[in-house]
Amino acid sequence: MENRLLINLVPGDTFLHRLTGKTKVRTFIILLVYIIMSFDIRLIMPLLILTIIGLVSLKTNWKRVKYFIIVIAAVNLLNIVLFWLADPDIGSYWCGGGNTVLLSLTGRLFLSAETLWYLSVRFIKMITSFMVSLVFILSITPSEMAAGLYSIKVPYKICTIFSIAFRYIPDIARDFNNIKVSLQTRGVELDPKKASLMSRIKQNVLILVPLIITSFDRVGNISNAMDLRGFGRGKTRTYYSEHEELKADKVFKAIHIILLLFCAYWIITQNIMPQTIKMWYPFA
Amino acid sequence: MNKVLKTLLGVWNTKTIVAIAIGAALFGVLMNYGGIPIYTNTRLTTAMIVPVIVGSMFGPVPAFISCSVGNVIADLIGGWGLWFDWSVGNGVLGFIIGLLPLYGAKINEGIFKPVHAVIYAIVCVIGNALAFGVITPLLTVAFYGGELTITFLQAFAGGIANTAVLVIVGIPILYALARRSARGSNLVMEEEKEE
Repeated sequence: MENRLLINLVPGDTFLHRLTGKTKVRTFIILLVYIIMSFDIRLIMPLLILTIIGLVSLKTNWKRVKYFIIVIAAVNLLNIVLFWLADPDIGSYWCGGGNTVLLSLTGRLFLSAETLWYLSVRFIKMITSFMVSLVFILSITPSEMAAGLYSIKVPYKICTIFSIAFRYIPDIARDFNNIKVSLQTRGVELDPKKASLMSRIKQNVLILVPLIITSFDRVGNISNAMDLRGFGRGKTRTYYSEHEELKADKVFKAIHIILLLFCAYWIITQNIMPQTIKMWYPFA
Repeated sequence: MNKVLKTLLGVWNTKTIVAIAIGAALFGVLMNYGGIPIYTNTRLTTAMIVPVIVGSMFGPVPAFISCSVGNVIADLIGGWGLWFDWSVGNGVLGFIIGLLPLYGAKINEGIFKPVHAVIYAIVCVIGNALAFGVITPLLTVAFYGGELTITFLQAFAGGIANTAVLVIVGIPILYALARRSARGSNLVMEEEKEE
């Protein structure tokens, strides 16, 4: 369970790690807009390849990441299947009316080429969105994230919430584990294979009460420490983790402007103006 | 009017900020570890207790921030991509649940009566319907486009699970919290004795 946490608390040493927090947060937000705005595989595929390159360049612990990738791929595949079950004919709406049936199970359940195309684009879009957040979270530390958010004019009290929350997730997760283990030593069955659903719910509540008390007991200590160091006095804040911009940051700045202009152009022409065909489909 | 606004916002001192942050972290942890999957991307999770606690102690806006930040964090560490529609939906739910002090359930002063429990249960149902029946689907259409069927199914499953957790686990916790803070002040104890 411990290795399910993905947050880095120590800055790494690769190209992406060395960028400033500002650049990382801005890139992430712009890329999210980029992914959300379109269902066009010509736009999504290059980004997927880029994120894979990014992930490799981070020299991350593969064992940890592999688990995530497998789980996410499985969950998204299941989602896609459910999607298909909910509306097998969804492709004809997205790809402009055509309906080439490839495989027909019953009258209602059939697989058309358009639906297959739509669902696979959707799958790739979800995976890309996942990969972007994975690369982002692997490359950033909590305080860099707070600094980055501050640079996009988020009030610094909210930035502090982000950095404190990230700081305390490993602690709370450890407490959670400790409480769980100590409940197990007292003979409470927590194994999902052995306990029934109802008793698992009950046991989750059993863990909850001590967890809440220990977590919120910290509040007084942390806030006193922060008050003693003068938190909240000034109107602005600077961040220790934010270093000077490197050459790469300046290159990224230029890329941001180009991407933002492109996104604005795309959203205006493709999303706001009405389109006859919703999705690029090469075999129409 | 000013007083209502003040209750809504809460007091923004260091303690509130830290409590929101701890609440968000707790939300993230519970969402990832303490959940039982019931439907795709939807799980029966005890994370929904966080807005109850933050809201009852600090007010609705802190609960809103705690919930939405918590959901973003849960998405980031859990790695299911980012779903801002759900984050905002959870935030709105947190806000509505955090309205506790507005109808007189002042947990900090140890006041939580059966009337408040009933109002709280009704508010939970309304809040879930509003957050996951209206706001999340609307944002889903705006952000991700045309996947309403799935979102409604998820929202329905999630809403029911949330309401169950909020009512069944939330009310005893609210009682316990109220009793805990009532112990700290003699004045409230006297009032309770008189009734």
